[in-house]
Amino acid sequence: MPKFLPTLARWSRLCVALAGIALLAGCDYNFWQMDGHQSTIVVDGPVAREQLKVFYVTVWVTSVIFVLVGGALAYATLKFRARNEAEEHAAPPEQSHGNPLVELSLIGASVLALVIIAVPTLRAIWYTYDIPEADKANAYEVTAVGYQWWFKFEYPAEQAAVDANSKTPLISANELVIPAGRPVQVHLRTVDVIHSFWVPKLAGKVDMIPNRANHLWLQADKPGYYWGQCAEYCGDSHAVMRFRVIALAPDEFNQWLEQQLQTARTVEASAADASRPKPQFAALRSFGQNEAGVTEQFDIAPLESWRAKQEPERNEDPALIARGRELFAAKTCNTCHTVRGHAAAGILGPDLTHVGSRSTIAGGLLENNREQLHRWISNPAAVKPGNKMGKAYVDNRITMTPEEETAIVAYLESLK
Amino acid sequence: MELAKSAYLTREEHAPAQPRLLAHPTGKTGLWGWLITVDHKRIGFLYGFFALFFFLVGGFEALLIRTQLMVPNNDLLTAQQYNTLFTMHGTTMIFLAVMPLSSAFFNFIMPLQIGARDVAFPRLNAFSLWTFVAGAIILNIGWFLPQATHGAPDGGWFGYAPLTSKTFIPKHSIDYWVMGLQLLGVASIAASLNFIVTIINMRAPGMTMMRLPVFTWMTLITSFLIILSFPAITIALVELMMDRNFGTGFFEVSLGGMPILWQHLFWVFGHPEVYILILPAMGIISEILPTFSRKPLFGYPIVVFSGAAIGFLGFAVWSHHMFTTGMGTVATAAFALATMAIAVPTGVKIFNWIGTLWGGHLQMRTPMMFALGFVWMFMIGGFSGVMHAAAPADAQQQDSYFVIAHFHYVLIGGSLFALLAGIHYWFPLMFGRKVSEFWGKLSFWVIFVGFNVTFFPMHFLGLNGMPRRTFTYDPNLGWNFPNLLATIGSYILGLGVLIYFIVMAYTYFRGQRVKRDIWDGRTLEWSLPNPPPEYNFRVIPTVHARDAWWYEKHHREEIARENAEHAREEDAHGGIHMPFGSIWPFVTSLGILIGAIGFSAFAPIPGPGIGPKLGISLVGGAVMLIGIYFWSLEGNEGYHLHLDKDGNVIEDDAKAHH
Repeated sequence: MPKFLPTLARWSRLCVALAGIALLAGCDYNFWQMDGHQSTIVVDGPVAREQLKVFYVTVWVTSVIFVLVGGALAYATLKFRARNEAEEHAAPPEQSHGNPLVELSLIGASVLALVIIAVPTLRAIWYTYDIPEADKANAYEVTAVGYQWWFKFEYPAEQAAVDANSKTPLISANELVIPAGRPVQVHLRTVDVIHSFWVPKLAGKVDMIPNRANHLWLQADKPGYYWGQCAEYCGDSHAVMRFRVIALAPDEFNQWLEQQLQTARTVEASAADASRPKPQFAALRSFGQNEAGVTEQFDIAPLESWRAKQEPERNEDPALIARGRELFAAKTCNTCHTVRGHAAAGILGPDLTHVGSRSTIAGGLLENNREQLHRWISNPAAVKPGNKMGKAYVDNRITMTPEEETAIVAYLESLK
Repeated sequence: MELAKSAYLTREEHAPAQPRLLAHPTGKTGLWGWLITVDHKRIGFLYGFFALFFFLVGGFEALLIRTQLMVPNNDLLTAQQYNTLFTMHGTTMIFLAVMPLSSAFFNFIMPLQIGARDVAFPRLNAFSLWTFVAGAIILNIGWFLPQATHGAPDGGWFGYAPLTSKTFIPKHSIDYWVMGLQLLGVASIAASLNFIVTIINMRAPGMTMMRLPVFTWMTLITSFLIILSFPAITIALVELMMDRNFGTGFFEVSLGGMPILWQHLFWVFGHPEVYILILPAMGIISEILPTFSRKPLFGYPIVVFSGAAIGFLGFAVWSHHMFTTGMGTVATAAFALATMAIAVPTGVKIFNWIGTLWGGHLQMRTPMMFALGFVWMFMIGGFSGVMHAAAPADAQQQDSYFVIAHFHYVLIGGSLFALLAGIHYWFPLMFGRKVSEFWGKLSFWVIFVGFNVTFFPMHFLGLNGMPRRTFTYDPNLGWNFPNLLATIGSYILGLGVLIYFIVMAYTYFRGQRVKRDIWDGRTLEWSLPNPPPEYNFRVIPTVHARDAWWYEKHHREEIARENAEHAREEDAHGGIHMPFGSIWPFVTSLGILIGAIGFSAFAPIPGPGIGPKLGISLVGGAVMLIGIYFWSLEGNEGYHLHLDKDGNVIEDDAKAHH
């Protein structure tokens, strides 16, 4: 035995002790903690709950089997182990070949254990597939469409104003607002590759597959703010293809709808504004590659943060906003983006008619604030590698000065 | 070459090859000796050598992946690099590490276990090896070419359409993936047919099917799985290749293609593939546990039958990889139940392994440690597999880190532990040296701890909603500590693997020399001197019982009488018949490699004419045809060896046959 062994043993004891302390020290160091924003264990809807129930059945059944089989394995290993030289070289034991009765009873027991899992599994397959008959009349319908790398949400039942005379079904992006306490039927479509729609706290995922009309249903028990993420590898920026689901009480949901159905908010620059002192923006810092785009404050009460975004910004500069609106057309943003009522009707990118009222931008990746908007529009390729906006900047030689970016950011923020 | 160290590799140099094109080459040393070899042991050794090399490559890729995920919002790797790394990690580990490592054992051990002197088609065996190497080169060639237009494959190891179409990934990376996998498929199918014919036809007298060692049984079942499942992916890859090169629309949505078709074709292959990876491992475990328990395998017929049952059921469960594709209730229910059913034969194997230990005299040697580690880890992986079978629960787990945890428990804790056990177990037979128990056990414990620290937290990460294949994550989702822990674990695992390999390399050159049958083995390979001579068996053995060598050891006189008689008979027939070496399998594979590079690495030129794509492909095709042509013409005869009393070659009539 090499000499360093006792030292090694001492060190490993120390490591175990330190690891133990670290684990006990705080909840941050619990790797078994499962109450995050995308938890499948702490859930808020009937579909996710049903899936969780099935999961727990499997956990219990397999745990019992593990204790029994693992116990037998551990016992056999310890009991029949050769403990010394003499036992190592003892005459071989009886050369027995098996016992059919033991085999058959163990097979029977395994089948029984699987039946215990199979019954709730079958029940839940049917339950989670479709909204229960009784609730169907009450269901709300939306369509989610996957794009590389963001989500479009359509509300086919809601007619939104394009201008004074025409209407179109309401379209939004990256934040799906639903009524709480009502089942929601989500039709799943994609325009390019396969994506997968996953809001862990509300329902397991279903894929969005080209040439295939998939759907899922979900329901939020109560008003809340939920994290979602694309769950099927879909190219370069798959990891940052995220979205949010906001569930609102019926009144608040209707209020939100009413606002969304209107054309984009227009801020007129009056003559008085020209003389008003310009708001001073903090110097824009540069962002590291992959730097987090959300703050801790945002997490404390995300639903409240979302509500706050519904109100116009306090220190708006109408002149700057008007300039931003001009630039939005001049820099050809309107080729890809729609802003209803502002002569922008592009359909390649997210609808921005009410982008200022969303809590996140860039596919749920960045918090919707001045700093992050700047970060996003100044270099989209750095935030979302491979995305179309970054490519369009290069292909169409779109450049912006920091002042121009500031104006566009102010304009986007004003779109409540 | 340093590889040619062991005794059976450095036999006497024979007369130089004759200048005639069709003369049979007889060299047995140096690079030439390796290129023309048809000896199943040398081919097995080469399979193992390449597999372990790619295992280290894949492991290095894994460490880069874990380092990127150590902290949230890390910027060590770009999205593009990360996506390439996870694609290549998966592809490498499955097709270039675990499968060929199993194949190394099939080649080296299986003929010895059935009392044969080689496989049925020695030259086809060489062709399988070199085509596998060609496929590995194609898969990895993109690393060394411009990343913007070539690059290594980056579409995920199951390459879901339509992401792999030219619209979304116009680079050549996917062409390499298509062509590489296609070649690996050719290699695997050819090798499998060879093993099947060998096992069915070349068993020693008395070696009935129900006396076959379990490892050989699993070789047979795995080979059938390969020849039945690879055609599905071959079709899928041909269709994808047509889509990318000739404008067909199998998966192209704008042409009415069906992306879901890819998933069905891929998983009809992909799920049996899982059993292709695990059944050989189960075979190895079923050899090691009886040997070190010093008693026969408990319930041999049931273990064999459950292996076959797993093979059959393995073809009926592919869509459990597709529970979230909206298959509808009935299909989902059917595949969920079929998947649960497969847990029964799998469980049976575990029961029988425990039954084997029960009442034995367990010798805790290094192979036994890895084997017991396998049983524990495979059990955990099996349980999380049952959780996936419950389709509604799987809707949450699919494509999350819970799945990552599950399949690493069955692939590392399962397949790899068994293969590492197998290396330890058969090392003395292959090289005549033995790994020190201390260092072997140390590497086991470091690997065991590192593996669990890496992958156990991933169950919780997945349940906490972390999706797989993400190059970055935000710090506010509760994933920071498990990720850090997993990364630390992966370094421990990496250290363990490093220790394992250093110890192996040291043992190969300097290890303690050991006598024949060091473990008091039960199957025929242990009757051979170590390393086994090129002709394997001096006299083809006659088999009287299931654990044939164990029986021989306890009935020495009877066996000695029989052997003497057989030796006389064989000598009367001209001595030990050996196959000639041949360079043509290598030439054929080389042609395939050239053609595949031409086809996958170049864009077509506009308009008619012969550009590099067509030109190089045609050259490759010509070389391949030349190889096949001379391969057929040189004939399949062999030469005879005559041995003295101690098994030394006294006469070799290789020359006389020319």
